[in-house]
Amino acid sequence: MTEAEIRSELQAVFRQVFGDDEITLRDEMTAADIEGWDSMMTINLMIAVEKRFKIRFAAAELANIKAHGQNIGTLIAMIAKKTGAGA
Amino acid sequence: MSIPSLEFLLGLFLLVAVFHALPSAAWRRILLSCCNLAFVWFTLPNGWSRLALILFALSGYAAGRVLWRRPYSAIFAIYTALLVAVFMVLKKYELISVLLPQRIMEHPIVAVGLSYMLFRQIHFLVDVMQQQIPEFSLGSYLNYQFNLFGFISGPIQRFEDFGGQWRSMQPLLLERHEVLRAYFRIFIGVVKVSAISPYFWDNYQAQRSMFLHPGSLLSLSQVSLLSRFAVVFYGYLVFLYFNFSGYCDIVIAAAALVAIKMPENFDQPYLSRNVSDYWTRFHQSLGFWVRDYLFTPMYKSLATHWSRQAHLLVYPCYLVAFVIAGLWHGNSMNFLVFGLLHGLGICAGKMWENLIIWRSGRKGLKAYMASRTVRFAAIVLTLNFVAFTMLFFPQNVATAMAILHNFGHAIKHRM
Repeated sequence: MTEAEIRSELQAVFRQVFGDDEITLRDEMTAADIEGWDSMMTINLMIAVEKRFKIRFAAAELANIKAHGQNIGTLIAMIAKKTGAGA
Repeated sequence: MSIPSLEFLLGLFLLVAVFHALPSAAWRRILLSCCNLAFVWFTLPNGWSRLALILFALSGYAAGRVLWRRPYSAIFAIYTALLVAVFMVLKKYELISVLLPQRIMEHPIVAVGLSYMLFRQIHFLVDVMQQQIPEFSLGSYLNYQFNLFGFISGPIQRFEDFGGQWRSMQPLLLERHEVLRAYFRIFIGVVKVSAISPYFWDNYQAQRSMFLHPGSLLSLSQVSLLSRFAVVFYGYLVFLYFNFSGYCDIVIAAAALVAIKMPENFDQPYLSRNVSDYWTRFHQSLGFWVRDYLFTPMYKSLATHWSRQAHLLVYPCYLVAFVIAGLWHGNSMNFLVFGLLHGLGICAGKMWENLIIWRSGRKGLKAYMASRTVRFAAIVLTLNFVAFTMLFFPQNVATAMAILHNFGHAIKHRM
């Protein structure tokens, strides 16, 4: 799975979890750019991501999803690393 | 040894001078290890307390080594259950005093710093089990637990952050203005802790004692009664902010002078727009710990198994997480009430948010959140709710209720 494919799959997950078909993911987007992205939504999102990509996130990784310096690009990179995806 | 004391400050200045004169990271680690040991030794009042805290920390290191080789959640669960039970005995929790013989609860151990050690230990073990901590040594672990800058009252630092800084042990503040800013922050912290917060504490105590003697309230005018109640209602909030944020100013700036970057702990907490927001601004490192190591695993586990009921299951998770966080603050029942109220406050905020989404959609929520009037009203409401919960923080439930009852009685007497 390439990073472009991961981005496309991830966008489908975001649209389903946030119930918003207008969400279009860009690498530089952060949690602040998506309305309603709070602690509970982070977990809902990560449960859906874990199911979709068949991966597991550690507590420390979940804690850092919304941390300063993290964005959609770093999330895609993390998924790519866990799935062993190529660029 | 208290943090803003003259001994601490003189010791800190000496430590910084020697630290920067040492030629290598290894020597700096030795120096800081000695200081951590000395600080903990002189802070704890007796040999039993020192022994108990050392064994508590060593058990965490041993459990970490086991989990590093065998990352089984059953091992973690059994160890954590035992650790929490020992913690409750050492801290003499009222909740378990009825279950154990009196003589066990009358031990001479004064468990200063143990609450923070417990949360650091649990975080460390979860991260070791989930392979987020690739390496650790006995020295780095013990210095993490007995780090003098976070030993008494936090902030709760993550082991990954501390471990990296401990290994490199390179000065963080390289520019002269950064060093001066750190010393200035220590000065501001000392003023907050030693001059401003005692003023609010004394006022709070004086007015509080009036509300515990209802006869003295009857002769007051309406304005005097209300203003004195305002001091009781908001006074502890103001005292706590200056005292705790001042303490954090001192330890965060002091740690930065010797190559350790502690996490920030305050971000304008009394401008929070709901209780959930409050816990990302007040005692941030605790709020994040509760979110990451209590709420998240609980909610994730339930929402994974019962995804259709996830929107309902989130509420008991908030309540349980905040009751535990409340009890962590102290051994008496008032802390349970404090935590429960905060849990209920978060649930109410979430329900309100969901109601807006249900009625107006996410775009409606966005417009609602952007309204300046709504923001102002939300800040005022949250501040008053937090002030109300703080009535249960420094005193037992009966005393807090007596203050409210006597105020209500005095108001009724005037009608």
